Amino acid sequence: MNFLNITSARKAYRTPEGGFIHALDDVSLNVRNNEFLTLLGPSGCGKTTLLKCIAGFEDIDSGNISLEDQSLKGVPAHRRPFNTVFQNYALFPHLNISDNVGYGLDVARVPKKERADRVEEAMELVGLKGFGKREPNQLSGGQQQRVALARSLVLKPRVLLLDEPLSALDRKMRENMQIELKNLQNSVGITFVFVTHDQEEALAMSDRIAVVANGKVQQLATPTEIYDEPANAFVANFVGTSNIFTGKVVEQNGKNLKIETANERQVLATSDHFNLGDQVQVILRPEHMKLSPDGNEISECCIEGTVEASIFVGSEMHLHVNVGKGRTAIVHHRHNRGDEGERIEVGTDVKLYYSPNAAHLIELVED
Amino acid sequence: MFDKILDSKIWSFLFKGYGLLFLTFLYLPLGLIFVYSFNANAINMAVWTGFTFDWYLTIFGGANSQSSFDAAFTESPARIFDVVKNSAIVALTASTVSTVIGTATAIALARFQFFGKRLYQAFLILPMIVPDIVLGIALLIFFVGAGFKLSLLTVIIGHTTFLSSYVFVVVSARLAGMDTSLEQASADLGAGPITTFRRVTLPQIMPGVVGGFLLAFIISLDDVVITYFIAGVGGQTLPLFILAMMRRGLRPQINALAVLLLLFTFIVAAIGLYLRSRKK
Repeated sequence: MNFLNITSARKAYRTPEGGFIHALDDVSLNVRNNEFLTLLGPSGCGKTTLLKCIAGFEDIDSGNISLEDQSLKGVPAHRRPFNTVFQNYALFPHLNISDNVGYGLDVARVPKKERADRVEEAMELVGLKGFGKREPNQLSGGQQQRVALARSLVLKPRVLLLDEPLSALDRKMRENMQIELKNLQNSVGITFVFVTHDQEEALAMSDRIAVVANGKVQQLATPTEIYDEPANAFVANFVGTSNIFTGKVVEQNGKNLKIETANERQVLATSDHFNLGDQVQVILRPEHMKLSPDGNEISECCIEGTVEASIFVGSEMHLHVNVGKGRTAIVHHRHNRGDEGERIEVGTDVKLYYSPNAAHLIELVED
Repeated sequence: MFDKILDSKIWSFLFKGYGLLFLTFLYLPLGLIFVYSFNANAINMAVWTGFTFDWYLTIFGGANSQSSFDAAFTESPARIFDVVKNSAIVALTASTVSTVIGTATAIALARFQFFGKRLYQAFLILPMIVPDIVLGIALLIFFVGAGFKLSLLTVIIGHTTFLSSYVFVVVSARLAGMDTSLEQASADLGAGPITTFRRVTLPQIMPGVVGGFLLAFIISLDDVVITYFIAGVGGQTLPLFILAMMRRGLRPQINALAVLLLLFTFIVAAIGLYLRSRKK
């Protein structure tokens, strides 16, 4: 049986100019029970629309959303067994913390004793025991966040929907909450559908990530798969940094391919999926590219170039290497403490090499 | 540096002086009414002949020592009670009904999309801009044409029409500042539309609703122009009554009545401000 299933969902908005924006363009997605699924995408990609359609705040134009094979068509938000943690928390300002958390129980007319116990339990779960009598505006952003979580979790929803809940928190707090949210999800055993535009957040927390762009799911996979084997150039660029070279397979020796790139350089890759003559895109992560300034360390060197910019970010040097014909490759070079000799000046000629296994090949799609 | 401080001192003195002058300009006439309402001189109120509570007592029927001369200058307490009662009935009923209508309309316009919404909104605000005298005549023509007998009821209906606009504007402002995600959150937590309205929307807009009610109440209480046209024989309100008294000369009892009306209005406004500050 499917758990939360979205099939061919479409939704279009009319723009003020009279055109249409396809917020959801044939989205199909199967959310598994008890998983932490992240909808990752740039702003305006449709991820929040999808969340709102699941919650029932908006209706899809066509397609279907079902829970355990029961269609949710026509079921209003207040009858769906889902709860939402809003981006701005949406705590009720006229109610104190314990009444905020107990709101759903009050609406459901849960008996007094049980209500008190469940509110207490939920507050303890999010680490806000003893805050019940405070007003929402007396709490910090992080605490309000926890109240919003408790208010949803107290109802034991089938699915918890989280709409960029960490975006309003500062960096340190956000990192703490990432860990806490993940732990919380494990302990309560509720399916989380988490919306974010922050790829690090998505990689850190998710069981699976659905990368969404232009109203479509670009790739649905585990964080490692998304990072190591991006399905297309969009995913490769959106999740982490990628060097993408377009080229054609000119030599094939079993799995080992030689690809001639558009700027007439030859690069190596291994793949089962491509053959001689195929048009491909080679995706190389900056941290998989190494450089040998003297060029003597490896016999079969791949790419030559000149350092255009060198940016020190603490743990690494980010080098922008001009590899000819205006193409730039980004290399993350490990920085060793006190190693002045390792410092690479702008203008240095370098040779870049990598293990052919690190190169990921995708089919070239014409835009 | 030194010059600047000197400059700023002069400026601050001038500004304070200007502020004081402006306040005097605003409140001197009101202060005079207050002072004259205690003046024993029944004929020329500008000439102070002694302090008296008599004018207030005549309103409440407590002035036993009234000379027949004084009596000629005052209205009977029974008559005053009558018109105050009329005013209270009109103000309370009209502002209550218009609060309900105005609030409901404000919510409808803030939460739902429909064809011609902008135009509808403009028409709702229009009665506030229409000159009172035009509105008064229009209402009179309407009531006569529709076969209404002018009475307290026509005053109430007439007031309700334009007071609804005021309530609409005040509540709309409050609704515009309200976070709509609160209503979504309520629905999300299992509350149907009615529960959401009762438990979330209404508490959130309550300061606006109360404010709108009080504004409507005060406007209704002191309306003269529109009421003048649509009040029948039995429908005289306090302001109309005072106006009628004025025709027979500027008499000290009027001062006392005016001061009482002023005090009452201030109290209502103070309650409004207090409620607003309490609900942050």
